[in-house]
Amino acid sequence: MTPSAAATTAGPTPTDRPVGPWLRAWRRTRRRPASAAGAVIVLLFIATALCAPWIATVDPIQGDWKQIRKAPTWAHPFGTDDLGRDNFSRVVWGARISMQAGVFSILLAIAVGVPIGLVAGFYRGALDQVIMRLTDAWLAFPFLILAIGLVTIMGPSLTNATVAIGLGATPTYIRLTRGLVLAIAAEDYVHGARALGAGDVRLMTRHVLPNIVSSLLVQATISIPIAIIAEAILSFLGLGVQPPTPSWGTMLNTAQQFLETAPWMAWWPGLAIFSLTLSFNLAGDGLRDLLDPRDY
Amino acid sequence: MFEFLVQRAAISVVTLFVISMIVFTGVRMIPGDPARVMAGTDADAAGLEAVREKYGLKDPIALQYLRWAALALRGDLGESIRTREAVVHTVATKLPITIELAFLSLLVAVSIAIPAGVLAAVRRNTLWDVLTSGASLCGVSIPNFWLGIMLILFFSVRLGWLPASGFVSIWESPLANLQRMLMPAFVLGTALAAVLMRQTRNSMIEVMSADYIRTAYSKGLAGRVVVFRHAIRNGLIPVVTILGLQMGALISGAVVTEQIFVVPGFGRLIVEAVFTRDYPLVQGVVLITASSYVLINLLVDVSYSLLNPRIRIRSSAGDA
Repeated sequence: MTPSAAATTAGPTPTDRPVGPWLRAWRRTRRRPASAAGAVIVLLFIATALCAPWIATVDPIQGDWKQIRKAPTWAHPFGTDDLGRDNFSRVVWGARISMQAGVFSILLAIAVGVPIGLVAGFYRGALDQVIMRLTDAWLAFPFLILAIGLVTIMGPSLTNATVAIGLGATPTYIRLTRGLVLAIAAEDYVHGARALGAGDVRLMTRHVLPNIVSSLLVQATISIPIAIIAEAILSFLGLGVQPPTPSWGTMLNTAQQFLETAPWMAWWPGLAIFSLTLSFNLAGDGLRDLLDPRDY
Repeated sequence: MFEFLVQRAAISVVTLFVISMIVFTGVRMIPGDPARVMAGTDADAAGLEAVREKYGLKDPIALQYLRWAALALRGDLGESIRTREAVVHTVATKLPITIELAFLSLLVAVSIAIPAGVLAAVRRNTLWDVLTSGASLCGVSIPNFWLGIMLILFFSVRLGWLPASGFVSIWESPLANLQRMLMPAFVLGTALAAVLMRQTRNSMIEVMSADYIRTAYSKGLAGRVVVFRHAIRNGLIPVVTILGLQMGALISGAVVTEQIFVVPGFGRLIVEAVFTRDYPLVQGVVLITASSYVLINLLVDVSYSLLNPRIRIRSSAGDA
């Protein structure tokens, strides 16, 4: 029973009053403090990425020869690295790289995967079979192996790593979209719209697509942390961001050589990745609840 | 049952065919003369001619593909540019190390995840359940290479209990081998354990609310007997599928883990091959990885149908 229906039958009690979507969202958020905290931390990371030049006032690339591998102090709260660069600045600027790679790769996956899945699910038949066999084959390449293969062909750089991660995530979106479209295209309102003379394009964009947006959004909150870790891994292996650009993955790669003398170099970049992905996952769990229409 | 197997096998063959086309096209997309790509930059004119001859690089592209695929099917994936060794041979020497690592991490994952997941489902909404869910979320979120570095920092650098890196063959000294494989196996097993734990919990919760479990309880059976004899059997079926799907993640994870702990396996091989521009080796490793993924998933599907008779019946009725 919806809250508004309850209000007409049971009378106006405080909990049954018809509420707007924002108030309802707020009430549900309050029930899940962990998810809310996750969302706040994700927003903080986004703010850090956007405002990096103002937060990290020390140059992340310029080293100071007198400050090589110094433990954390007030001047350098995260210590300095093997070239005397400020680790705090590098972690802050690294947020920008990670966010960029995470968000843009998934946007690419959505931009490629959703139209293909839409067409496959909508028209079905032989075209669908061909697309699905291709998707199966694409999925058979483990994510990292595929990314490594693509970076080998295209050469290592942040852009290529982002493209490789995006292409690796694409089949997931093809499958998801196709499955959702198959279910929605069978609904009465789609048949109704067709009977009223709506063309294929109108049906797909006006009737099918809006109904799968929330599922895509939820999937995106699952894929973005995976993409962020993937970028860090590629950079860690030397296949992503190239030095001296600060990236959490390359920082960890350097840190591994100095574990005995400068362990702090390994703490912060890893802690940054961990807290960002954990917050994303927490926020994603909450979003899934928030967007689930069954739970009223 | 037979029909189901044939159908599944046919799909796998089509998938393998598409995979081989993707790999073939991928190598052709590397800029430059294909003969040069396959023979290496320091090959002489005779070497280039030999490669052109072997792969028929003057023939139409479709014929080239067929020739390449026929060679690959016979186990000839060319030779490594760097070592001049057959790619198949190089892979065969590295693979057992990675299989050992994967097996150990699977052992770690299963022995943590299944008891913890079952207990979380049986004691639902207790502190234990919340703790397991939290641990599982952390396990999914933690980047495994950072976890590896932190373990080295703690157990090798700080405490000096375990060697930080290196490899000793299990035939040489099983104890030294295990000492060096312990941390890599744990790192690789963590993410898998996290996923398995969640899956075990969810599917056990579903099974525990089934009618036959209520019947078992009302017969007066002890809780232990119900869980172990009745619920686990059905509860673990979906877990088997997840294991199959996680194979890809396990292979990707092995690449990173071997890099951190300097384990000379399959994963380290591919990274080295990329850096030395050893294209035949990269091509071979990618092809072998993807093909084995397809085969493993075929095996998982078959074992799944053995575990769950309903799938067989449905497919022989013709609607699956």
